[in-house]
Amino acid sequence: MPEFTLTAKPFLGGYSRDFNGTTLTEATDVSITSIAQPLGGREALAKAVQSAWGCALPTPGKTVEADDGHRMFCTGPDSFLLTGPALADPAGDAAKALKGAGYVTDQSETWVTLRLSGPQARPALERICPVDLHPDALPAGAFARTVMEHLGAIVLAEGGDTFTLMSASSSANSFLHAIEVSLQNVG
Amino acid sequence: MIINHPLLGPRDAAEFVHLGDASLIDRPNWQAEDAAAQFLDYAYMRDNPAGELRELWYHEQGDRSWLVVTRNTLTHEISSVELARDVALARGRDR
Repeated sequence: MPEFTLTAKPFLGGYSRDFNGTTLTEATDVSITSIAQPLGGREALAKAVQSAWGCALPTPGKTVEADDGHRMFCTGPDSFLLTGPALADPAGDAAKALKGAGYVTDQSETWVTLRLSGPQARPALERICPVDLHPDALPAGAFARTVMEHLGAIVLAEGGDTFTLMSASSSANSFLHAIEVSLQNVG
Repeated sequence: MIINHPLLGPRDAAEFVHLGDASLIDRPNWQAEDAAAQFLDYAYMRDNPAGELRELWYHEQGDRSWLVVTRNTLTHEISSVELARDVALARGRDR
């Protein structure tokens, strides 16, 4: 019987490119876990999140920075995303930390994460993203779940000219292409 | 068209999917005596007003919430946007 060794590879092969001083890089060191609030379980989840990661539940459209490099997004009235450092079993860890106060699912393999930073970041995104990216409308730590080039995406403002972009890993190359073309068009 | 989402603020209509008349929230009781007649009405009979209409919109490319949007079908002017959950709760639904 032939022996196989499977090797995990980033969706975009660890892509990194400089566009005249604006950099676009695939982030390969993140784990993503979704947390859904059980019906009527708001208070219990808030308490569990506070003791697990030392932060309050974020409000819609906002994120909060939590302990150990985690960040929590409020993606809907009763749903949250937790991003953090790459872990072997992020959902298992989250489930243990929450002690049943939230329903958790490992989403690390379903999202591709890109970091876009530099003076052309905002002009390039403005062309493909219908959300207002002005720092007054989307301050550091705020995010929007929206659509870019027909692909669902999350855009997180990191402050200044830096954005974290997330989209479905199954269409990672199309998403990358959309950002690349827009960067070339403004470049 | 811009829809002013009650939680997220103004969002482009391209992020939303339109379902139709918000009366779909009032699903009839299937155990009622005249359930068949009620469901005929519920499923097929729609008002088609030239003016204000309460509609269900789904924020599919966003936070996946259902909204009740009051829109004027002649001018596309949107006069009110509510979370469908709040509307349903106000009408006595349990969730």
